[in-house]
Amino acid sequence: MGKSMGSEPLGKLYNGRKAKRRREWRGLKDTWYDYVHWLGIWGTLIGFVLRPANLKAFFRYRWMVNYLAVPDFFDRHTEGMRGTQLRVARVALELVVRDMCKSMSVMFRADPACGNDKKLNEKLVVFDENMMSQIMNGFPNLKWVSVEVPAVYTCAMMAQDGVLYYLDAAQEYGIPNDVCPMPAAELGVALKGDYPRIGRCAVQCNTTCDGSLMGNGIMASCMDIPTFQLAVPIRHDEDSVQQYAAEEILNAIAFIEEQTGETFDWNAFFETMKRFNKETEQLLEWYDISRTPYPQITGNSLSLYRYAVYMAAGGRVDDFLKTDHKLTKLAMKGYGRKELMAKQVRHRAITWGVQSAYYTAFGIWLQNCWGIVPLVDMLTLCSTRMIDTEDKDKAVYDLAYLYEKMIMRSRSNGGYEVGVADLWRFCESFHVDMVIMYAHMGCKSMSGYHGLFEEEARAHGIHLVWATHGLMDARTASRKDMRTEVNRYMRTVLREEPLDASLEDIDDELAW
Amino acid sequence: MKDLAHIYELENLLHDTYNEPSRRAKENGQYAIGSVCAMIPEPLLNLDNCFSVRLRAPGTGSMEMGTYYMTSIMCECARALLERALEGGYGYLDCILAPDACAQMNRCVENIDKLKLCDNEHFFVTYSDVPMKSDETALRHYVRQMRQYVLEPLADRLGVDISDAALARAVEKQNRINSLIMEIGAYRKEDRPRITGYEFAVLCLSTFVCPKEYMISILSDTLEELKKREPDERSAYRARVVMVGSEIDDPALIRLVEEAGAYVAADCYCLGSFPERTMINLTDDGDVLTQICRHYMEQGQCPRFMNTDKIRQRHQYVDALAREYRADGIIYEQIKFCDYWGYERAYAGKVMRNDYGYPVLSVDRPYASGSSGQLRTRVQAFVESIEIKKGSR
Repeated sequence: MGKSMGSEPLGKLYNGRKAKRRREWRGLKDTWYDYVHWLGIWGTLIGFVLRPANLKAFFRYRWMVNYLAVPDFFDRHTEGMRGTQLRVARVALELVVRDMCKSMSVMFRADPACGNDKKLNEKLVVFDENMMSQIMNGFPNLKWVSVEVPAVYTCAMMAQDGVLYYLDAAQEYGIPNDVCPMPAAELGVALKGDYPRIGRCAVQCNTTCDGSLMGNGIMASCMDIPTFQLAVPIRHDEDSVQQYAAEEILNAIAFIEEQTGETFDWNAFFETMKRFNKETEQLLEWYDISRTPYPQITGNSLSLYRYAVYMAAGGRVDDFLKTDHKLTKLAMKGYGRKELMAKQVRHRAITWGVQSAYYTAFGIWLQNCWGIVPLVDMLTLCSTRMIDTEDKDKAVYDLAYLYEKMIMRSRSNGGYEVGVADLWRFCESFHVDMVIMYAHMGCKSMSGYHGLFEEEARAHGIHLVWATHGLMDARTASRKDMRTEVNRYMRTVLREEPLDASLEDIDDELAW
Repeated sequence: MKDLAHIYELENLLHDTYNEPSRRAKENGQYAIGSVCAMIPEPLLNLDNCFSVRLRAPGTGSMEMGTYYMTSIMCECARALLERALEGGYGYLDCILAPDACAQMNRCVENIDKLKLCDNEHFFVTYSDVPMKSDETALRHYVRQMRQYVLEPLADRLGVDISDAALARAVEKQNRINSLIMEIGAYRKEDRPRITGYEFAVLCLSTFVCPKEYMISILSDTLEELKKREPDERSAYRARVVMVGSEIDDPALIRLVEEAGAYVAADCYCLGSFPERTMINLTDDGDVLTQICRHYMEQGQCPRFMNTDKIRQRHQYVDALAREYRADGIIYEQIKFCDYWGYERAYAGKVMRNDYGYPVLSVDRPYASGSSGQLRTRVQAFVESIEIKKGSR
């Protein structure tokens, strides 16, 4: 291994077992940077566990064991990186981890099984996993919390078998195995009684798909707190639905006010939304850089970070805006130095469809093995509309629009225009020659466009490479299966040789 | 029992995607309005010179092209409809007015639309956003959507009369059908029913795919015939069941269940009589469209209604049906890959068994399941289990 990107085969890092054989050597400067940050992550984790309520949670909740893989998660998501790319990944993802730790600490402090802080518990409003949190910006005295994110969503990212137990629980209950594993696993956690029983009230949403909506219905019956179901219009690109969307937002606000006795604070809302708008401005800067030959903030560093900013932090956490600025500064520096995202950038790609939770590092493999740089992904390409921060009526409509454009559902719902036609517009805008099409086997919304994607990709002259996966269930399509599909396309259709042949066939079946 | 006079005729027309009464209506200058979901109120599709046709794909065998366009994990019903469209089966339609209700059916319609599979000169497609909750906010939205994506396109593109008077006439026509179906269906409550569940399913399904005027005369004749019909001395059935679940557009499935010994005393599925054939009550005060939408929103039993009250109401509705039609058990069925019914079947199956005390058979099935040996065996076993329970009481 050496200082330059791709100086040594990365396949050696995989030995078929959980941990890697050794850490990566990236040259003195980058290795030192990476090592110090690796220690920093351990520091964050140890600090988290030292709180008594958090320690109790480790023994109370089965899913907590997945977080032992956080350091490995960082290794996976910085593999082969050097210079700016490494720093961007570290800075972005570390903040996500710190923010998660804070959020989970609040959760466990209120949890009767751990901290049992009843006063705090009265201040918590539980939100659905895939639901925007921005309504809570108008309730500065209350706290937003999502129990599903730490229990399911991030668990599946930390360890590829992280939620299989809960998936099996849902299937034992009778849920068919062809539905999306995410809501099924969320339901499984509820059925096993493995959610902290917290919150003054809850707000659910028809978030991503029909399955998600249905899982919520059953989960509501498992929760002992008043629950509001926010119905967000499906045809969210149509003007005709905006009034209903806004009215539903007002209904949700009224519900929270009624349950908690708090009043929606417009000033607090506007202040936080100003920050959210500034965060959006930073994102647009990154997109502009990604349209050049020297993109700097791409792949997971963009997507996983953006999910946290867009959905969870929602303008309430100043650290994210500070980090946004830091990332922009890093990116500008990298752009100035014409740093590349891979040893050789052969293909500029967009990843479309729902990405695999158990293989979020797939994009990194794409660039290290084949020189395919995933610039942006479908889930990140949500709304960039600025929220009005002066006029209440306009702000409600903007907020409603934002909720309609939640991650995933902004593309999986809404029809052909947002699910298919927008892809080709993005391909043109980002000067992309390849689309990595995630074929999530439980996602009926995107699968329904399979033939149209194929035909229209040909018409647009775009290479469309399918990567089939089971979202949170690696048993249905393994990481290796996903790689094999790409390998076949690259060798048989494009007749290319890998940049790093050692990565073409690696054994990571038992890895985290 | 002696065969019903019209049953053979109806069975035959159900074999066709474009049946004879629809052909005649088209020849008489009427517009054929394609429909894929109960969330678009049926009277709105039968206004003025329009008649609604619920899309089906009878006699489906291979659905390879449908599978290519939508993959093998999609609902077989959606794939079968797309396959039929690719074969040119819906070329006679003047439009499809579809809600974006379930993603899978929406994708089916979008494929039909984008692949330009209907070449009728008038043909167009609209997609509306329909409620997922049953409350006043949702109702206002529903009304706006129906006006913008159903009524106005019909008026603008086909010149259809969408006045309140026309709406009221369409409801009256619909209610005539509904009352006949309900009267006929009520015979299923009898100890020795004078109509089989299969016969009823044929009659009921026909009302969704034929012009209403044609069906009114058929149903009126059948009702008169039933009044005098003598049931069999000895019932061939060993249990009475309510059939609940995703859409059944092939009565062969009901026949299979009955051949296995379970009399289908009541039906609560898409293209069945409950809730779609319940009477629409219009009053003089208030907007007609709003009243129609309210009926469909409040009566709708589709699991896509997500609010907790409505979820509970679904279970109560099935319980009420089971009591009224004196069912011994409930069969929850689901077309494979349907997300809505996949969850609802699992959940409602547990609730109806544990909270309401009914024996429940919970099955998923292929789209064309009228000859499924596995399904037959499961129903037979269910009937036996009901008999054992009855015997042990």
